[in-house]
Amino acid sequence: MSNLIFSSVNKVFGSGSSRYVALENIDFEANSGELILVVGPSGSGKTTFLTIAGGLQTPTSGNVTLNNEAITRLNRKEQSQLRLNKIGFILQSYNLVPFLSVKEQFTLADKVKKTNISPQDLDQLLTDLDIISLKEKYPNQLSGGQKQRVAIARALYTDPEYILADEPTAALDTERSAEVMKLLKTLAHKRNKVIIVVTHDMRLKKNADKIYQIIDGRMSLLK
Amino acid sequence: MFLAVKEMWYEKLRYSLVIELIFLVSYLLIILTGLSSGLASLNKAAVNEWGAETIVLDKDSEGRLAQSFLSNQTIRSTSGTPISQYSSIVKAKSGLKENSTIIAISKHSFIYKNLSVIDGKKFTTKGTVLVSDIFKTAGFKIGDTLYLNNSDVKLRIAGFTPQATLSATPVVYTSFTTIKPLTRGTINALLTSKKKIKQPTNALVLSKDQFINKLPGYSAQNMTFNFMISFLYIIIFIVISIFLYILTIQKLPNYGVLKAQGIPTKFLTLNTLSQSLIISIFGVIVAIIFGFITALLLPSEVPIVINIANIISTSVGIVLMSLFGSIIPIYQIAKVDPYKVIGG
Ligand SMILES: Nc1ncnc2c1ncn2[C@@H]1O[C@H](COP(=O)(O)OP(=O)(O)O)[C@@H](O)[C@H]1O
Ligand SMILES: [Mg+2]
Repeated sequence: MSNLIFSSVNKVFGSGSSRYVALENIDFEANSGELILVVGPSGSGKTTFLTIAGGLQTPTSGNVTLNNEAITRLNRKEQSQLRLNKIGFILQSYNLVPFLSVKEQFTLADKVKKTNISPQDLDQLLTDLDIISLKEKYPNQLSGGQKQRVAIARALYTDPEYILADEPTAALDTERSAEVMKLLKTLAHKRNKVIIVVTHDMRLKKNADKIYQIIDGRMSLLK
Repeated sequence: MFLAVKEMWYEKLRYSLVIELIFLVSYLLIILTGLSSGLASLNKAAVNEWGAETIVLDKDSEGRLAQSFLSNQTIRSTSGTPISQYSSIVKAKSGLKENSTIIAISKHSFIYKNLSVIDGKKFTTKGTVLVSDIFKTAGFKIGDTLYLNNSDVKLRIAGFTPQATLSATPVVYTSFTTIKPLTRGTINALLTSKKKIKQPTNALVLSKDQFINKLPGYSAQNMTFNFMISFLYIIIFIVISIFLYILTIQKLPNYGVLKAQGIPTKFLTLNTLSQSLIISIFGVIVAIIFGFITALLLPSEVPIVINIANIISTSVGIVLMSLFGSIIPIYQIAKVDPYKVIGG
């Protein structure tokens, strides 16, 4: 049973006159089997929230626990290991290594982490995301939407307990967005994963199990 | 290795250009190092063959053999085997000639014993000489008679000896009696194989290395070469640094994301290190091949020494400089904060 809990988390950037409160008193909980959507306008603190959840930033105050372990207390190396083993990140850009073909993006993951994913599983994943025909292509030969779907496949490939996605559908049309969300939802339900998607795209709301809204760094539960 | 090789393959043009650049600089380094040690050996090879550790010269000689004239008193009060030198152009009937240094030594001295012979034998009777193998390459034969400028002294070649050059001229070894008409019995130096001797009055005592460093033009020439060679190493360092630095800067966002995905920093920095290794090793290998070909093609008068020791030390130097060149890029990768690239 995986869970991710934020308790009274604050994140403040700068000090004095440039002091900026990006996250204010955030309480948040995500459990396995849930697809959680965090919606909010640009600049509301979504990326800040997601990077703190993944141990890329530390909160100014408050606590973040992953499987009941405080990730804020881990050192850099332990955080990196945690991300490698438990978290799949889907970021807004630069997800793919420019000089590796689509297939090799996955080989790279194999080099640093032993997975028990078979080539058939990978092909199934690529088929589900409709990118199986792109295996030999390089990132600069792909459209924005194709790149984003390869990035999603890359994050899912290592079968992480947690998937943290930052605007994963930004480059996708409505139909593709819905398909990706459905895939993420199926994963959350069938494979019992914690999936958090932050977005400003309100169209994604209908697929979520839980929806939080974030405005000016303050979070509230919508559904 | 995986990332390193994939990237180099993907960016073939860029990487082959930098390999080419490293090759050219390495080639120049190998040639210069070869010339430097070749010329150095032309200057000093004979001194090394003698096996002397300490050289006693006239105190006003500035360390130069030709300008040193030892007094009888110094000779009597100092131990060591005497040598005399005389510079002259020697000619054969055939018209061959060589600008040479004639060195007189005693047949009972350790120097005589230390000389090796590649053809014929050492000088024995009056008028016979053991000459540098350069004479052999030039076409002189055993039994040839040598004539000196402005003198009726005649010399007959008894044998050839290797590594017999002094101040870039081939050496002709003979007995004191043979060159008495030329030197009038002057003794230029006393040599011993001892490292330390009692300081004689009115004399300059030099170690072998000090003596070599004072050979005319020797230090200046070495300094010039060393200056050029050091510069080439620095150029290699800068080329690799700048090249990898620029490539790394371009890829920093990707490195940030890879770190966010939990890929260890060590894995990423090892890739940069392997790239600088691959670049320099490729460059060096091609340079070595071209260096050997050049040495074969150059006329034998060009004093270039491309041997295993030179090749190894130059290669190690180049590879080390390239590895140093990857320090800055590696530092950049190590300090890139994944959040900085993701933010926004
Ligand atoms: N490193 C930082 N230093 C200062 N301000 C920052 C930093 N990172 C983010 N911010 C600010 O925090 C706010 C929230 O940013 P972010 O989490 O990226 O928003 P979103 O992803 O919702 O667009 C923005 O106003 C942004 O300018
Ligand atoms: Mg954002």
